[in-house]
Amino acid sequence: MPLTMVKVGEHNTIKKVGGKEETRRFLENLGFVAGSIVTVVSVIGGNMIVNVKDSRVAIGKDMANKIMV
Amino acid sequence: MSIKIALAGNPNSGKTTLFNALTGSNQFVGNWPGVTVEKKEGKLKGNKDVTITDLPGIYSLSPYTLEEVVARNYLISERPDAILNIVDGTNIERNLYLSTQLMELGIPVIMAVNMIDVLEKTGDKIHIDKLSKKLGCDVVEISALKGTGIQKAAEKAVALARKKEAGVPVHEFAAEVESAIRSVEDKLGMEVPEEQKRFFAIKLLEKDEKIQKQMKQAPDVAVEINDLEKEFDDDTESIITNERYVYISSIIDECCTKSRKEKLTTSDKIDRIVTNRWLALPIFAAVMFLVYYVSVTTVGTWATDWANEGLFGDSWSFFGTEVPGIPVLIESALNAIGCADWLQSLIIDGIVAGVGAVLGFVPQMLILFAFLAFLEACGYMARVAFIMDRIFRKFGLSGKSFIPMLIGSGCGVPGIMASRTIENDRDRKMTIMTTTFIPCSAKLPIIALISGALFGGAWWVAPSAYFVGIAAIVCSGIILKKTKMFAGDTAPFVMELPAYHMPTVGNILRSMWERGWSFIKKAGTIILLSTIVVWFLMRFGWADGSFGLLEAEQLDSSILASIGNVLAPLFTPLGWGNWKSAVAAVTGLIAKENVVGTFGILYGFTEVAEDGAEIWGSLAGSMTAIAAYSFLVFNLLCAPCVAAMGAIRREMNNAKWFWFAVGYQTILAYVVSLCVFQIGTLVTAGTFGAGTVIAFVLVLGFIYLLFRPYKESKTLHVNIKGIAGAK
Repeated sequence: MPLTMVKVGEHNTIKKVGGKEETRRFLENLGFVAGSIVTVVSVIGGNMIVNVKDSRVAIGKDMANKIMV
Repeated sequence: MSIKIALAGNPNSGKTTLFNALTGSNQFVGNWPGVTVEKKEGKLKGNKDVTITDLPGIYSLSPYTLEEVVARNYLISERPDAILNIVDGTNIERNLYLSTQLMELGIPVIMAVNMIDVLEKTGDKIHIDKLSKKLGCDVVEISALKGTGIQKAAEKAVALARKKEAGVPVHEFAAEVESAIRSVEDKLGMEVPEEQKRFFAIKLLEKDEKIQKQMKQAPDVAVEINDLEKEFDDDTESIITNERYVYISSIIDECCTKSRKEKLTTSDKIDRIVTNRWLALPIFAAVMFLVYYVSVTTVGTWATDWANEGLFGDSWSFFGTEVPGIPVLIESALNAIGCADWLQSLIIDGIVAGVGAVLGFVPQMLILFAFLAFLEACGYMARVAFIMDRIFRKFGLSGKSFIPMLIGSGCGVPGIMASRTIENDRDRKMTIMTTTFIPCSAKLPIIALISGALFGGAWWVAPSAYFVGIAAIVCSGIILKKTKMFAGDTAPFVMELPAYHMPTVGNILRSMWERGWSFIKKAGTIILLSTIVVWFLMRFGWADGSFGLLEAEQLDSSILASIGNVLAPLFTPLGWGNWKSAVAAVTGLIAKENVVGTFGILYGFTEVAEDGAEIWGSLAGSMTAIAAYSFLVFNLLCAPCVAAMGAIRREMNNAKWFWFAVGYQTILAYVVSLCVFQIGTLVTAGTFGAGTVIAFVLVLGFIYLLFRPYKESKTLHVNIKGIAGAK
């Protein structure tokens, strides 16, 4: 399921990162690779703050929709 | 022997703090050639032979952002003697990703694990000896904030640079990947030195076009790429990214002992509240109110008054002693040396008054900048961008556009400069174009003048000015996004949020001073020049049959008046087609608060209060309330002052874009003012004429531009790459 459907505080493993190549690369460099564990810290209007590999990353709703967990 | 050391690391890893600690005040700030990415260099404290270059904060050496391209171009072509790789110990896994790439460059690397003090508090432990073995480089523990270990790190880096022994990467990928890399390395030939082969081989496998272009003879590696992609069922770049993380994960348990399990960090707890869906906006509004209340009304007013009326006025009190102001001091000095009258007038009325008026805002701006530096350094500013993103997205801007606009409400120059943090080229250009619509502190006197002179100081005039500014930003965002130049989706919002922490006083003061200083430099150059030009235009002209220096009362014969007379008909449709208003608008281009002063001079006062109370009567007699409002709107929206225009020119880094931005602002100002005056006059006085028809046509055209469907462009590519690659 897409990351946007995950509840706050739940741990999930990333299965796949989709989206436009440039953004996908950027996310991969930030640690969003298949196998990483993500935790949602907070959600505002679909945009979310997630914890991945011990760092907090804010991502827009459109991007969160393309991260499959 | 001089040594070059490059400081490399992730954003928010404490790189700048370490750089400041290592170099102290021996810094030189500039730009990387051809791009608007800041370049900082400095001499190591106590060892003048060592130059430290602060590379931009990066997550990898990929070609996807301007910063990464700049950093890797420097590392490949300038080849520093050593790399000091700073790594955030609280976030080591992600940080090591960059480290594995730095190790492949064939340059000696020393790793500094930062935030060791935080690690001690949480009880985590990093075993540097094991880390050192697994990565093939020396590792030291430091705390950049507290200053622990940095001396040792610097000494080791210098020693390593002297030894000139390149590190050998010890990390290994899966066997298939390694054999592909070896096969490409063999094809590289003589062009690439032995120690750099691994880096180039991997970049070629990743299909990095920039590296291919930089090489004289790039071998064809299609076979290797094809084999790998078939084997892993993925593209090569993702395969290698994955391999790096797999390697890091395999060593991380051995190298770190983590005490906390499944516990929320303090930072996460704060985020639960601060970015909470209901509380986020109220908390944000409260923080902004506090910042503005202190820096604009209380302490700010006190500081501005001291600067304007004391330092650049008659006199100020220094612990009870009256000290004469700068103009007074200069005047008596000029009198003492028997300076010619015209020169004295140029210096006192032109330069000191003009530059002084601008410098008068410095204390207030420094207070505002100190607050903003604090919000930035503690990590809240990044959250603001996140909170505002969903609102700004609706009209084609990104959440990061909010920060420039916020700073722009103090002064447009640092506001425009703050747009650098926006990576997406299109979003950044749009932000630069719209930031100055927000009334800056220099526009406040104009608002006070118009509201006092023609609206009896009505409460709604000032808020309406901000409303006009915000509406201009929103509408411009929507209209521009539908043009060909800006078409396409805004870049998706992705931003790392640093952990909340208490910044040091030194770092805040430094950041405050850097912003303030760039403004002072502007005042000393562009504003100085233009005040001299305006003074000549104002004081020279044809009077009593000959060309020469004019008396102060003869202003209507000056060159400036002639220019005003030429320009005035242009403004007749806006309701203020007299030369005095035209001249005031022109001098407003030097610095917006000049508008009030110019009106003062034109109506025969040598000096007026900040809100121009003395000339309210004359002004009210010369134009209608609607015309005055149209004048106000024009001055708020049109091209900003020269200092801000200079900043636009520099940040756009392109003459065509600069003229587009300034032209757009001025045309928008003209159209909006015209509609305000024509439609306003129709409503209040019932006058209907050709102008009214034009106004309605313009309104319809405006609505069309606002609501027409989006035109999707196929060329979505961001220009950043082109600029950086063109180096």
